[in-house]
Amino acid sequence: MKDSTRGVLLVTARTIIAAACVAAVVVARTTVGWDSLAIMLVALAVLLGVLASYNRRFR
Amino acid sequence: MAGPAARRRGSGPFVLACLLPALVLFVLFMIVPTVNVFRMSFYTWSGFSPDMRFVGLDNFVRLLDDTQFVRAFQNTVALLVVVTVVTMGMGLFLAAIMTRQRLRGRTLYRFVLYVPSVLSVVVIAAIFSALYDQENGLINGTLRLLSLDGLRQVWLGDQDIVLWSLAIAMVWQSLGYYMVLYMSGMASIPEEVYEASALDGASAGRQFFAVTLPLIWQNLRTTLTFFVMSAVNLSFVLVRAMTGGGPDGSSEVLLSYMYKQAYTNSSYGYGMAIGVVIFAFSFLVSLLVSRATRREPLQF
Repeated sequence: MKDSTRGVLLVTARTIIAAACVAAVVVARTTVGWDSLAIMLVALAVLLGVLASYNRRFR
Repeated sequence: MAGPAARRRGSGPFVLACLLPALVLFVLFMIVPTVNVFRMSFYTWSGFSPDMRFVGLDNFVRLLDDTQFVRAFQNTVALLVVVTVVTMGMGLFLAAIMTRQRLRGRTLYRFVLYVPSVLSVVVIAAIFSALYDQENGLINGTLRLLSLDGLRQVWLGDQDIVLWSLAIAMVWQSLGYYMVLYMSGMASIPEEVYEASALDGASAGRQFFAVTLPLIWQNLRTTLTFFVMSAVNLSFVLVRAMTGGGPDGSSEVLLSYMYKQAYTNSSYGYGMAIGVVIFAFSFLVSLLVSRATRREPLQF
């Protein structure tokens, strides 16, 4: 796979994951409970993970 | 003649004397209250009576069965994620436009966007309460004028949307501040860097992601930490001033719930247990943000 194609795929995947995490936070909030809170915290952790994975090549 | 080591030794007491007032204030107003929050979370105390009873971890066990606490936690996390993503995205976008594009009336736009950051949060709460008013508010009034009555909402009275009404106020309040922060970072990037990338065929979008973002990364790191703090602190003031946590606790955030328990419900120890959770959560998220965004600063 060409580097440019791989780069585009990576950016797309990261964007989709980040959007899914934000959506998960918004949807999980509608139900009150520890399960929903856990989903929200996991989504927050994944968002930070996406940020870390983007940042890794610049370290 | 005294050597460098002797000079260092000699200046030690002077440095200590200079630092002492700041250290005393720091210990008195930062360390002692923080330790006290942790200590009080192990007691039951009404906040007024002289009776304090040590209950160990009971206050924390109570948290596990408190639905209102869970809801407040969920609201805080939701505000943290949504307000950060929206404000950061819009702030970066606007800063890039204001810095890179030669817009007419750019100073006016910057002024208009920055004004909310100068206003008191309570004033902002009053402005948005007026905007969201069910009968005479600007939003519902405009919708009625446009014959869009179906879209009219009870913005601060509907459990499903009240938190997002608060989120809009938070974004509006902080957008200008972050935009100016990002603009200051972008303004310090030399024009030659952009010229060189343009010669290499980079589009405006490519320049933003390959030149601007990496060169303002330290600003981004700092603002991400600010976002964590403001999601916890700013939301409290807005909730207190606009909804009081209602309707039925649906807009309660961690800090407002802690305040309610400690000072209104006379459960000071329980309130401090919530304070410990807030401290641990803010600290952990700030630490993770710092670790996730750490990189060597670029020299240019």
